[in-house]
Amino acid sequence: MTSVSANRAVLAAQDLQRRFPLLQLVALVALFVWGIVGLPAFATRPSIDSMLVLASFLGIAAVGQTIVILIGGIDLSIPNVITAGNLLTTLLGGKHWSFGEIVAAILGGAVVVGAANGFLAHHFRVPALIITLGSGSVVVGAVLAGTHASVYGSVPGWFTHFVSPASTVAGLHIPQVVLLWIVITLVVGVVMHLTGIGRRLYATGANERAAELSLVKTELVWVGAFAASAVFAATAGILLGAWSGTGEQAIGDPYLFLTIAAVIVGGTSLIGARGDYWRTVLGSLILIVLTTNLVGHSYSEATQQIILGLIILAAVGTYGRDRALRDRV
Amino acid sequence: MASQSLTLPFVGAAWRDRILDGLRDNTYVFALVLTVALIIANTAVLPAFASWSQVPSELGTLAPFALAAMASTPAILSGGGGIDLSIAPLMGLVNIILVTGLLSHGLGNPAIAVPLLLLLGGVIGAVNGVLVGILRYPPVIATLAVYFVLGGIDLRLAPDPVSTNPNWTNQLASTLWHVPGTIFTVGVVLLLWFFFRRTAYYGALFAVGDDDVAAFASGVNASVVRIVAYTLGGVLAAVAGIALTGTIQSADVTVWPFYVLIALAAVALGGTALTGGRGGFLGPALGATCVYLIQNLLSALGIDVFYVQVAFGAVLLVAVVGGAFLGRTAQRPRGAG
Repeated sequence: MTSVSANRAVLAAQDLQRRFPLLQLVALVALFVWGIVGLPAFATRPSIDSMLVLASFLGIAAVGQTIVILIGGIDLSIPNVITAGNLLTTLLGGKHWSFGEIVAAILGGAVVVGAANGFLAHHFRVPALIITLGSGSVVVGAVLAGTHASVYGSVPGWFTHFVSPASTVAGLHIPQVVLLWIVITLVVGVVMHLTGIGRRLYATGANERAAELSLVKTELVWVGAFAASAVFAATAGILLGAWSGTGEQAIGDPYLFLTIAAVIVGGTSLIGARGDYWRTVLGSLILIVLTTNLVGHSYSEATQQIILGLIILAAVGTYGRDRALRDRV
Repeated sequence: MASQSLTLPFVGAAWRDRILDGLRDNTYVFALVLTVALIIANTAVLPAFASWSQVPSELGTLAPFALAAMASTPAILSGGGGIDLSIAPLMGLVNIILVTGLLSHGLGNPAIAVPLLLLLGGVIGAVNGVLVGILRYPPVIATLAVYFVLGGIDLRLAPDPVSTNPNWTNQLASTLWHVPGTIFTVGVVLLLWFFFRRTAYYGALFAVGDDDVAAFASGVNASVVRIVAYTLGGVLAAVAGIALTGTIQSADVTVWPFYVLIALAAVALGGTALTGGRGGFLGPALGATCVYLIQNLLSALGIDVFYVQVAFGAVLLVAVVGGAFLGRTAQRPRGAG
């Protein structure tokens, strides 16, 4: 009898976890408490502000990864689009383009690249992994060749201030880029959960054939999802341009696996249609708070990576494992 | 349906079907044709490319590419979204242990070092296999986690590059017993592959890769098949790490990240379906050869290194979209990623 009731408790807990990212919240709070206890300056305003700014970069870059994973894809071109956005921002800024023109040019280019990703992967039934690997290589190679890998350039002073942890919004102590992240989170949340667009997205991810039969244009969903992914990656690239002040050839590289890690630590499943962007926000915060703790305790980058790997295993072990074959016969 | 409208000039319908079927069944044909064309182009640009004094070292540089691609293949063949992202950091680990742990401590004798490193590769591959086959982690996640752990270990063991004294691995990247040393790495693996195709396991691997539920229902132990596939990948990654040591003659943690995505690209370029159950080792080896030859050709032409990335990405897109176009009649539902 006790094993039956214990079993029931486990099932109830699993059900709760499916609906609500409880473990992630607990982990985030625990990591934060660990920081307060272990590190003297952890909970000070500058420290929290910088963590929020870093989490914004990761969170914004991972919006697209969340969306494409929900429809059963993956986007490996994110780091390349970030790098391209970063290089073009500083380069065009140095050539006295207006800020609006720069943003329009970069985001316009991103839409084209992302839409092509979604179309090729869906229309020709090629794994998105390979398509985005190829297109990412083309994009970053073209931008590097076209700019001669120039890292010179500049960004407007107000824009540097925009991503500074010390910036404020209407007198409130919130870095401006964090406000942008909050707005993006709200908009993405509303679109995904309260509109037809979101319902088509989840329907496509849950069962593409059923969605198609319900008159969802799944190809359009794929094109839109990958276009959105590229736009958010480019946005992160533009913001990182302001953060670094110069173009950097490899600035996007860490975001290849970090965006995937943020999505899966947050609890969105690679199996498709299970999860949402709120979870990725939590995942981004968890990764940044964790890294800050590890850096604070002067763990080497090597140890940080090892711990990140183990955390991914532990997190995904509690949910998001595939069903056993015997249950799928 | 769409492929029926494809017409080839100068050939009758029967021949057209035969050619298309041939391309569909032998998925590596595109990579083979591209390889031949690129060899001709390379030789035309730089006649010394094909000279006997150059070939062994060129093959030595090619070997880690080809082996990394082949090491990535069993996981992909085993289906279920199978993929092994940890191949490259495992190559790095083998490279670092061989240089800093074995060669510098008198354990460099190949009779000791090679079995030890292959065992290490197999054990780490088996860990991936257990995570995927028994604990049912999605392969991308399991191997990504192992990627991070191994990458961290690599960085701990060799934060700075360590060069090594002259040793036997150098012969693998030049000549050994008067023949290119690559014959003893890539050549042996390809030879074993042709024997491997006669085993019962080969049939089980493709059955599971094509449809794991059906294979399971027919009594195939899919979990064991997958564990063996990832273990095989790990062993091959160890061979790749040894070949890598041969060409770079140092322990260098900045080298392996280069192979992470190139290996997957080479597999796709070689015509192996990333959805599993289709392909073999010859395709990935040829795909890797294409990647290497493209790089070589463009640098021989003095073209900006960034265009190499553009060309590589474009060839990859053309290859996979073209392959998908040919394979349309054999269309199956999409796997994750």
